[in-house]
Amino acid sequence: MYDRKVVRRRRAALAVFVVLSIAILTAYFGESGGGFFHTLQRGAQEAVAPIETGASRALKPVRDFFGWAGDTIDAKDQNTDLKKEVQRLRRALAEAETQRRDAGQLEALASLHEENYFPQSTAPVNARVIAKSATVWYSTVKIDKGSDDGVRANQPVIAAGGLIGKVTTVTGGTAEVRLIADGQSGVSAQVFPEGVTGVVRPQVGNPEDLLLEYVESGRRVTENTLVVTSGFTSSRTESLFPRGIPIGRVTKVDLDELETYQRVHVKPFADLRRIDVVQVLTRRGVAQQAASVGDSGG
Amino acid sequence: MILSPGAFLRVGLLLLLAVVLQLSALSQLTVFGGHADLVVLVVAAVAYYGGSVTGCATGFAAGLLLDLLTGTTMGASSLVLTAVGYGVGRFHEVRDPSHGLLPGAVGAIATACWLVAFAAVALMLDIGARVSPLVLRDMIVTVLLNALLALPVFTGCRKLLRPSLAVDPMELRRRRRPPREAGPLGLRGLEI
Repeated sequence: MYDRKVVRRRRAALAVFVVLSIAILTAYFGESGGGFFHTLQRGAQEAVAPIETGASRALKPVRDFFGWAGDTIDAKDQNTDLKKEVQRLRRALAEAETQRRDAGQLEALASLHEENYFPQSTAPVNARVIAKSATVWYSTVKIDKGSDDGVRANQPVIAAGGLIGKVTTVTGGTAEVRLIADGQSGVSAQVFPEGVTGVVRPQVGNPEDLLLEYVESGRRVTENTLVVTSGFTSSRTESLFPRGIPIGRVTKVDLDELETYQRVHVKPFADLRRIDVVQVLTRRGVAQQAASVGDSGG
Repeated sequence: MILSPGAFLRVGLLLLLAVVLQLSALSQLTVFGGHADLVVLVVAAVAYYGGSVTGCATGFAAGLLLDLLTGTTMGASSLVLTAVGYGVGRFHEVRDPSHGLLPGAVGAIATACWLVAFAAVALMLDIGARVSPLVLRDMIVTVLLNALLALPVFTGCRKLLRPSLAVDPMELRRRRRPPREAGPLGLRGLEI
């Protein structure tokens, strides 16, 4: 039955929530990083971080299992005892695989620091990824290290292979990292050995193909050359990254004579879809100070 | 839906659980580049059983929680999920469907609407980068995964919310009888 009062109540509820959402959206855009909603976000993240860390650890076996679950189809016809045995072995294998992958990532991280071009004035802080953004439009991850460990906003973050992003917000025990595949990201970069500079921008939805933009057509870029952070400050992007962090390798160069700039496709060294262990490149003083405070406190 | 402290507590816990599970596990389980999206399914389920007003309130709360915990632009998810919750709730109020497999279709359509509308809002607000065609593939995978997950999620939500629902949908379905096909001619085809 058509009840005018019910209809009015329903429409009013919808209008209230839509207006409230738009008001929050407008206020969020209008305020600075230290405003009410940004502070609320940081507070909420800090409050829920222990739950997220616990859930992430508890669900890690599920995630690991899911990664190779496709291989389990062949085991269907085996008898019950054999299935149990296979399941036990698979659990062990998943754990071993995880440990091997973690070890591989850590080894690659360690070897990265030994490269000649890598910036030496940084103190790396190892961290584990505990949460990942839910949509492709915002590529962010949350790590289990924060300001207590010397992590500060705008510090570069690397994973096995090279640069993955920078720290955007920090709480005591966690930090939010915006990946270089995020729609808002832009990194001043330089191609080795040519020395050509540009800005590395993402293609939303395809983290394996970054674009080096604003490269002048006159400067020739060749395939398979190395792309590293330039450390330059330009009008397009203020580089917050120290010079020399590897980003990726040039895979393709679009040579369009009509365009002033040529577009260079870059495949990042780090696998941005699967990141478990990362390193935040803190400034030497900050991390050591935090470590010494932590040692004396514990 | 009967608005009681118990109902608020149930929906609140359900949303918190969905958001934490989404961020800590489901977002990291990728299948062909996409992943299941539990939050929109839970919003759709609550709206489906609770109605449009409950749906838009739940959508708003879920969006706010998601934006708070992911550090993304606040209000964007709330705006879209409010509309999704209201839409699903209205669909149930107007059509009053009873087919057992309908949650699958509702979950898939709600997910598709959420992904497309959120993409539009994100692009209008602060995404200045180029968009790869692979985004479409990820969206399709998410819709398909959610269609598969919808049935268990809707069943779980219905069981959890049952004490707060004004009318139990399963009871309502049981009470419905097929039209008479035998007996006096004048009564055939009538639901008596």
